[in-house]
Amino acid sequence: MKRIIAQTRKELTQFSRDRLTVVLALVLPLILMWLIGSSVSLTVSDLPVVIQDFDQTPTSRRYVETIRASLTFRIVSLPITAAPESALDKAQARAAIIIPAKFEADLERGRTAEVQWLIDGTDANTANIMRNDAAMIAQAFNRQNGPSGAPAIDAQMRFWFNPGHDSDQYIGPAVFGLVLALFPPLLAALAMSREGEQKTILQVYVASIHAHEYLLGKILAYMIVAVAEWVLTLALAIPMFGIWFHGDPTPFLVSSFLYLFCNVCFGAMAGASIPNQAAAIQAVQNVCFLLSFLLAGFVFPISNIPPWLRWISGLVPARYFIEVSRDVFVRGGGWSATWHVPVLLAVLSLVFLFKGWMSLRKMQIEA
Amino acid sequence: MLDKILNWRFWPLFFKELNELRRNRRLVAMMLVPPTVNLVLLGFAMNPEVTDLRLGIVDESRTAESREVISAFTESKSFVAAGHYSSIAELSRALSAGELEAGIVVPSDFATKRTRGEVAEVQFLVDSVNSNTGGISGGYAARIIGALNEKIALNKSSVRPARAVSRVSLFYNAGLQNSWFIVTGMIGMLLVMLGSLVSSASMVKEKEVGTVEQLLMTPAGSAEIILAKMAPIFLLLSLDIGVSSAVGSFVFGVPIRGSFALLYCSGMLCVLSGIGIGTIVATFTRSQQQAELLSFFVNPPLSMLSGATTPIEAMPHWMQPLTNLNPVKHFAVLARGVMLKGVGLEVLYPNFLALLAFTVILVGVSAWRFRKQLN
Repeated sequence: MKRIIAQTRKELTQFSRDRLTVVLALVLPLILMWLIGSSVSLTVSDLPVVIQDFDQTPTSRRYVETIRASLTFRIVSLPITAAPESALDKAQARAAIIIPAKFEADLERGRTAEVQWLIDGTDANTANIMRNDAAMIAQAFNRQNGPSGAPAIDAQMRFWFNPGHDSDQYIGPAVFGLVLALFPPLLAALAMSREGEQKTILQVYVASIHAHEYLLGKILAYMIVAVAEWVLTLALAIPMFGIWFHGDPTPFLVSSFLYLFCNVCFGAMAGASIPNQAAAIQAVQNVCFLLSFLLAGFVFPISNIPPWLRWISGLVPARYFIEVSRDVFVRGGGWSATWHVPVLLAVLSLVFLFKGWMSLRKMQIEA
Repeated sequence: MLDKILNWRFWPLFFKELNELRRNRRLVAMMLVPPTVNLVLLGFAMNPEVTDLRLGIVDESRTAESREVISAFTESKSFVAAGHYSSIAELSRALSAGELEAGIVVPSDFATKRTRGEVAEVQFLVDSVNSNTGGISGGYAARIIGALNEKIALNKSSVRPARAVSRVSLFYNAGLQNSWFIVTGMIGMLLVMLGSLVSSASMVKEKEVGTVEQLLMTPAGSAEIILAKMAPIFLLLSLDIGVSSAVGSFVFGVPIRGSFALLYCSGMLCVLSGIGIGTIVATFTRSQQQAELLSFFVNPPLSMLSGATTPIEAMPHWMQPLTNLNPVKHFAVLARGVMLKGVGLEVLYPNFLALLAFTVILVGVSAWRFRKQLN
């Protein structure tokens, strides 16, 4: 135990002397969280649209007003001679809306008047949102315009947990987990592989410290750094995304601790098996960040991933942590909804720890 | 003239660099794996599609009228019936546990209100933790109810009511394949990042091993040294443009409707600006490990502020103009223009010129920094 603590102190001293690493550990997570948190979202607003009104009557202008009232669209002007398709080609507009001549006359005669919506489909999700809105604008217009009065069925929409469809409530808790998936393992991997690369590991072998003590000392040191990162990022995330605990925070606290431990163990394992710092950085970056970004349900739902790829997400710790984080900050389901997460994180940590210990032993035998 | 070109001392240096690059297996793997594996992974995993939402049903009315509403939902492609619940409390529990994405409650007085001609209410509950899915499924529900109302109004009076309808035509991507958006955005990102990664690795290696001095002792000028270093990386990475567009078209069926030459040229500019970024990073660092850590400050803004994977219109308003400073963004516009829209330079020239300008600036600055260091 004494030897573990000595190793931890040595490690922390070494860490605090390297200025690039300290900045990387304590400042970069905040910058990265701020950057990702403010730029990644699928909730579009103010999409530019062009309208060609061939009717120019009070009724057609009322239709245009309905579009103007929607938050999704922003009307940009189009020269009357230009073809509306060209506005899509030039990416000046995401949709072109063409109101036909005799729009008003058709409606007055009780006919169906067709308004054409040309939608830019390059961004499929945004196109889908626009298609929904096109239908809803027509309904809203008919309600105002038609003499039919109240509709037969009225659907009362209740948006649970996140009534304002606020993207921050969705992204915020997850980006917090994403940043913690990258930096703690990165630092741990660097520290482990540095010893392999600079052959200082040989000094460790001749010392009286055991492989497991050495490994635990390193992990403990980087756990302390990771907890500091956790406090800092959480302190930024709460005001930045406007999130706060819903219900019991203990599942979050327990899972946070295990999640950090799991990530540090992964970093130590990667560092022990790759005795080259540059390669270790690459490995951690690709495995931790890319997989956590893609397969942990950060923005894109896991259920949309094809099954042959989806199973990998079961091995990504961030996937479980994001679940808990969303639960405690948005949903508020408590222990009954999240008890499996700490268990799985503990299992993953032990696997990584064991693998790290094995590769350290192997290195020792080879050395 | 030809003699002069052939005897130029640039060539031996060029072949030396090319050989070195070819022997470094890790670098070659770095060049080939990302455009294939990453592109496939990203194209499949980044999919915000909203279909087959699990719908929980509470039918307190149990009448023909209520079943009409429910079947309107379950018959659409957007929702699948995931279970019937006896009370709202049970439905809420399932919704909280994440077993459902949405729930519909038809109250017991639904049928009586319908026959009396009053407004009959249904409740539609949406789990909107995922704000995108929540918003879209709310939209689906509103459309379904709206269509049902129109059908009912039509049945009531034999006269067709006057109404406006939206006839939607989807341009460029009629099947709304989200992978087309991701692939066209990611190609530029991969090219810039690979360019910067490979060039910084190869430049820093020379410093680490201390062979820069040997290079300086050759009769070649510093401009020739830089050129010879950049040219092989540029040539090899240019092949990646072809590899990644092939992956896009074979795996995801992304079309190339416009000029492939324009796409290739823009891709080469992307590679060059990546090489410029990598060289600049390399001049600030002493080891490969430092260069990679430094790239953590460069790559996230490049990828996040590009609109390559998420729409720029979803960013905060003050942030949107910043994307114009990013070569990846301009390539994404070019790639989408050429591949999906089939337009050419007559439309895309602002983005092409911007990309060209960034490339010239980045390569210029990197050459200047590198020369300063050599001297």
